[in-house]
Amino acid sequence: MKPVAGALGIVWALVNLILAYYFLADAFIAKTAAREGILAQASLLLGGLLMGLFALLVARVGVRLIRAGNAT
Amino acid sequence: MGAALRWVVVIAAVAAGAFGAAQIVQQAASGQQPWDPELTDNFIFIKSIPFVLAVGVAVGLLRGRAGSEERRGELVRRFRPGTVIGHWIATIGFVLAMPTGMWQYLGGVLSQDAPAPGGQILLDLFRPIPLYWIYRLHYIGGAIILFSVASFAAYWWTSGDRALIPPRGQWRAHLSVFARGLPRRLGARIAGPLRLDLRRAMPAAKRFTYYETAFSFPSWTIVIALITITGLVKAMRYVYPIPPFLLYWSSTLHVAAMVLIFIKVLDHLRYTLARWPMMVAMAKGWVPESAIRRVLEDEVQRESAPAEPVPARQPAGAMTGSER
Repeated sequence: MKPVAGALGIVWALVNLILAYYFLADAFIAKTAAREGILAQASLLLGGLLMGLFALLVARVGVRLIRAGNAT
Repeated sequence: MGAALRWVVVIAAVAAGAFGAAQIVQQAASGQQPWDPELTDNFIFIKSIPFVLAVGVAVGLLRGRAGSEERRGELVRRFRPGTVIGHWIATIGFVLAMPTGMWQYLGGVLSQDAPAPGGQILLDLFRPIPLYWIYRLHYIGGAIILFSVASFAAYWWTSGDRALIPPRGQWRAHLSVFARGLPRRLGARIAGPLRLDLRRAMPAAKRFTYYETAFSFPSWTIVIALITITGLVKAMRYVYPIPPFLLYWSSTLHVAAMVLIFIKVLDHLRYTLARWPMMVAMAKGWVPESAIRRVLEDEVQRESAPAEPVPARQPAGAMTGSER
């Protein structure tokens, strides 16, 4: 069960990394955020950074679970 | 509240829910309503909310008071079946509501003259799905979350179970252990303003880790309350005149809460996947006592803990109460 949970964790982390990329890119590109001001852009930037960071941490745990196999 | 009375409340709530659902479906299917599918779904959702909340409260009441300790040899019960089922029902709600909510937000941001590089790929990927289906799934997920919130709130209110938050007067102690488990510089930065003592010796937690009581559960409560309240205001906007500034801030905070929930889910997965007995407990309710005790003891015996020795650990003790 551990490898399955680890693999699902990695999939979820990858999806979140993609989302984090769009958040980070839109912090600088999105017209809506630019119109709403620096606070909206900073929120996108911070949200993207945190999502990316935590997604990497989940991916790392997922890799460890896959490597551990079903050992207790 | 006696068992018989609780059942009466549940049957009344379910009967009211069934009657309400029949009325709502009849109105929506009458062919007399002039709205498009998206607005029709919105009206179905907003009209169903009182019934969803009522059934949630009734189910929470049905669960009754916290029970006594249960064990089967080496196994101890960490979560009652109601908690396990409720957790996975909430998970289904979030699995439906989160991606659809994110798509509503990103779809709007990316649909610009110059979307972010690669944005067109995402837009094209979802183009075959009618927008009202995205909203429909979002409303279904939202309704499941509302049911879950009502159910857990009613259960915690009536059961007297407060194990997921620090006891009165213990907040600083729990936060101290939580801060000590963070990367050293971050922990020190938090400890200063909150006047936390990172050298404070604490015994291993008995049921939920200090991380869970001091940070995880309180922050879940805040973000779920925020997304629920702002979501209700947004959903009400077509049936009740919401002042524009309130609608603007509800929309803004709804998105902010959604992002926080994405981060919270990642943090939740990071924490529980790395502590496998917790995953086992939330899947089966039962867990080997030695395994869960190791997790609890490990928290107060981390490498990042200060050099000052932690006093001899008292046994984690019997895990009592309903949530074991």
